[in-house]
Amino acid sequence: MNGKPKIGVYVCHCGTNIAGTVNVEEVRDFAASLPDVVVARNYSYMCSDPGQALITEDIKNYGLNRVVVASCSPRMHEPTFRKTLESGGLNPFYLEMANIREQCSWVHEDPIAATEKAKRLLEAAVVKARNLEALEQKEVDVEPSCLIIGGGIAGIQAALDIADAGFKVYLVEKSPTIGGHMAQLDKTFPTLDCSACILTPKMVDVANHPNIELMTYSQVEEITGYIGNFNVKVRKKARFVDMDKCTGCGDCAEACRLAGRIPNEFDEGIGMRGAIYLPFPQAVPAKYTIDKENCLFLAKGKCGETPKCQEVCQAGAINFEQQDEIVEFKVGTIIVATGYDVFDARKKPEYGYGIYDNVLTALEFERLVNASGPTGGKIVMLERGKKKKKKEEEAEAPKVPKSITFIQCVGSRDKSVGNEYCSRVCCMYTAKLAHLVKDKIPDCEVTIFYMDVRAFGKGFEEFYDRVRREGVRYIRGNPSEIFRRGDKLVVKAEDTLTATPLEHETDMVVLSVGLVPRSDNREIIDILKLSQSSDLFYLEAHPKLRPVDTASDGIFLAGVCQGPKDIPDAVAQAKGAASAAMIPMAKGKVKVEAQTSVVNEETCRGCGFCVELCPFTAIELVEVNRQGWPVKVARVNEALCKGCGACVAACLSGSIQQRSFKDNQLLPQIKVLGVK
Amino acid sequence: MAEATQTDFQPNIVAFLCNWCSYAGADLAGTSRTQYPSNVRVIRVMCSGRVNPMFVVNALQEGADGVLVSGCHPGDCHYMQGNYYARRRFKLMRNFLEYLGIEPERVRMSWVSASEGAKWKEVIEEVVEGVKAVGPMNKFQRRQLNW
Amino acid sequence: MVDVSKLRETAREIISREDVRELIGYRAGTYGFRARPAFVYDPGEVDQLIFNPACVNNLATYITLEEKLPVPRGQEPDLRKVAVMVKGCDSRALVQQMAENAYERDRILVIGIPCTGVVDMDKVQARFPDVLGPGEISLEGDKFVLIFDGRREEIPKEELLADKCKRCRFPTPLVYDVLLDEEVAPFATDDYSDVEALESRSQDEKWAYWEEKFSRCIRCYSCRNVCPMCYCNDCILDRLRPQWIRRSVDISENTAFHIARAYHLAGRCIQCGECQRVCPVEIPLMELNRKLYKDVEELYDFEPGVKVDAPPLLSSYRPDDPEDFIL
Repeated sequence: MNGKPKIGVYVCHCGTNIAGTVNVEEVRDFAASLPDVVVARNYSYMCSDPGQALITEDIKNYGLNRVVVASCSPRMHEPTFRKTLESGGLNPFYLEMANIREQCSWVHEDPIAATEKAKRLLEAAVVKARNLEALEQKEVDVEPSCLIIGGGIAGIQAALDIADAGFKVYLVEKSPTIGGHMAQLDKTFPTLDCSACILTPKMVDVANHPNIELMTYSQVEEITGYIGNFNVKVRKKARFVDMDKCTGCGDCAEACRLAGRIPNEFDEGIGMRGAIYLPFPQAVPAKYTIDKENCLFLAKGKCGETPKCQEVCQAGAINFEQQDEIVEFKVGTIIVATGYDVFDARKKPEYGYGIYDNVLTALEFERLVNASGPTGGKIVMLERGKKKKKKEEEAEAPKVPKSITFIQCVGSRDKSVGNEYCSRVCCMYTAKLAHLVKDKIPDCEVTIFYMDVRAFGKGFEEFYDRVRREGVRYIRGNPSEIFRRGDKLVVKAEDTLTATPLEHETDMVVLSVGLVPRSDNREIIDILKLSQSSDLFYLEAHPKLRPVDTASDGIFLAGVCQGPKDIPDAVAQAKGAASAAMIPMAKGKVKVEAQTSVVNEETCRGCGFCVELCPFTAIELVEVNRQGWPVKVARVNEALCKGCGACVAACLSGSIQQRSFKDNQLLPQIKVLGVK
Repeated sequence: MAEATQTDFQPNIVAFLCNWCSYAGADLAGTSRTQYPSNVRVIRVMCSGRVNPMFVVNALQEGADGVLVSGCHPGDCHYMQGNYYARRRFKLMRNFLEYLGIEPERVRMSWVSASEGAKWKEVIEEVVEGVKAVGPMNKFQRRQLNW
Repeated sequence: MVDVSKLRETAREIISREDVRELIGYRAGTYGFRARPAFVYDPGEVDQLIFNPACVNNLATYITLEEKLPVPRGQEPDLRKVAVMVKGCDSRALVQQMAENAYERDRILVIGIPCTGVVDMDKVQARFPDVLGPGEISLEGDKFVLIFDGRREEIPKEELLADKCKRCRFPTPLVYDVLLDEEVAPFATDDYSDVEALESRSQDEKWAYWEEKFSRCIRCYSCRNVCPMCYCNDCILDRLRPQWIRRSVDISENTAFHIARAYHLAGRCIQCGECQRVCPVEIPLMELNRKLYKDVEELYDFEPGVKVDAPPLLSSYRPDDPEDFIL
């Protein structure tokens, strides 16, 4: 096969699509005159069965070892003719196509010019075909298991779908419980169903599913490998509670000397917890965790005579000797569902968040209206930073706000904080929270400052109308400042619809903070080499057609880590990511790109330019022995290489080449096309 | 006389198109039956990042009057970054050739997406017009050998 | 000025070390004022070492130029350090070589020479064409002092100073293990006026200028061979398949060669000027290199040979790189 090229050339008429403009007989005769062309034919439809049969017959009869088809775009029929070659017993990569339809007959009316161009394109295909090489279409086995990073609603949904389909799932969650932000919410817009009521059954399903291995309070440390064969290393952080023994009774939490003195992350710091704690009653797993930064015994080495928790735990589950544990396993696919942070309102100092007690973020307010939150769902004025009074009766009854003001787009659509995007959920959660206020305190005056109201989803506009009918006042304007006057907060703004400057007095301000990429996003980027879009969320492989894929095969995205979205969208994307991940797992094998790059290790000087630029980290420097000397050379991992060829153009010594697009395949084309 | 030669001059342009955006965009121009000058001959590569800037020099040596490299818009590269690398390489090469006296009209680069069949036509027209304006490239054309 | 006895003493200590294989420095040349590279393997050889403004060669070249002969079976390759004397400009070649993984930092031992400028030997030659016997050049204040044939001549510094030194921003080596003298503060800046003057000419004028220069090229490849950054084991110029540039010496291939040479150094050339110095037909190669250097700096805020951990210019990008030229 590697002997002298014997090229067969096939000029397609495509009915009159090509033949109507291009003189196909002339092109065929021209082809026949080219060196190494042993047969040249023209035919009405090369892609038809008889057309393809011409090729397979000629392969047999003439011993063809290269085939050139001049027809439509290779983007159309390259796969077709590759199969033809294969069925004719020829390596499919011995095919080269000349696009004389889309880029010739359809765009040039003049038959002479079109025919002339067709000849040139054909000749370029012939000279490239001469230097084509047989390539191997490799397949790799796919481990039937999936790693899901992040146990919010997206991770939970993806885990359940994949586990239900019969594949093993490793669900890794950084915090002590799964549930994510959704668990913190009270009601969901626009249907007002209770967030916990629809979420917690799914959380329990995750815990009980035989195919899901749940690792909470754990972090992915390292991932190597490629689609089908990822090696994962996870650090299970010590929780100082034996998971097998803990019954979740909660005696320890009550006994803890610090009970009620540490701000609870789950309650956004409005509620308090102890050093040993369960983030919320329905947490999964329902196992307690000791926070070692705060625990007196772990941080200071002393907690009275004996640590209280240890004293009261009847199961004997407290274990201060516990160490972090590293677990390693293999997976075939990975779904990243790491979620988001809410915008840090301190970056808008004009709103006084962190200064005034009753300027809250919307997530704090969610905890305040939540029946399972620190106030039992009562909306009350906050007195932050004050030590909790020892006895309940000493405390005055907290005040109920008479007026609550929401400010939308805090940290969204705001270039000054670097977030140009819309967070997509704030308009509706603000409307929902406004409704909940009206529901709980009917005479409370509710005002919403907004730039635009984006009620684009199913039932959103109807809900927005409903909230306005309930007496919530919408003022179009972006407040410039919040300050205190007496015991009131004053929101300074301009009503842009009437061009009236105004100062609006209120008891409480809720900042509708946007969604931002997690502050620890980098960790996963470094581990998985993910890319970020300009908003710094993770970048999908294609914004339209591959929205759950990443540039790396076998790694998918779900939920807000890819960009702001609401719960149904996050769930839909999770289901999408789950089914995308299941395709290679169900097939059991994946084909890897054949037109990959390959290094000539004899001439490579090991400068690493290719290593540095490869978007897929498919190239590494390895040490080889060159005549007794240790030298570094580049080496391509063919399972990771996507065949872009960017490395080839960066190589000064021409030592890395892309199969099917090698310099000695392209330079002859340039020569043929350059000549007038 | 000189003017007559200018108008008769049909430049020969070698274009390198990335498979995913520009080649698809050129295909779309075809399916939409958009008519454009036939002076451009296309070499398909998978990514504009594959195009070695020396290809430009090579094409000019071989007799091309102009060269076009076309890729995906920034941020749309099928391989994430290839077009960014290409942008740097060709900016430098174009400036450098201009410094040597090679008209920048001969070294062009464009972003044409798969949906921009109409833009492809505009790009071709502009490139062809630009090269026509500076005339045939004969500064360092290679002697054609026939062995 | 570097104290020669201190230089030799340092060299003696270094070459006596177990972990040092050789020392690359300078010694007097065979005629005129010239100096040439010295390769020292033995403490006994250090007394030939010198440093003066005639020490123009960039010795960094010899580190990557080293031929790695096959190691006989059963033997180990000699991986001991190579000690090398570098001026400020030369040291940037080391930095750039290491940025390109040419070798590890611990493979070399750098003897840094804070440099007050070297002469342009062509200017010296033009001034004193007939000096064949040994001559010495030193710098005293703002004058070069030339001693030869029993004569002593003082010439104002700028009259003999190499052009590259008139633009030198890095007279003190950026990397060294030993520094032979006090640091020298930068005494010049670069305004690229020469490049800009050429840029502003018409296309036809520029081509006429370069056509004349390139047509002189005899393709001896001295510029490539002397370049500390041209160290591929197998250069594309030497390859037949594919043959990027034909070997015929004509304006087409010569032009392509000079484009390839300069472009391969984009974001890599550290302006040591060795290529132009060795060119036997006086092609102003630095005018090519400097155009790219200037563009790289202006467009990408990138300067090669300054940081070892800098990503390679053409293997990196910024999303907002200039793209005014793109249709």
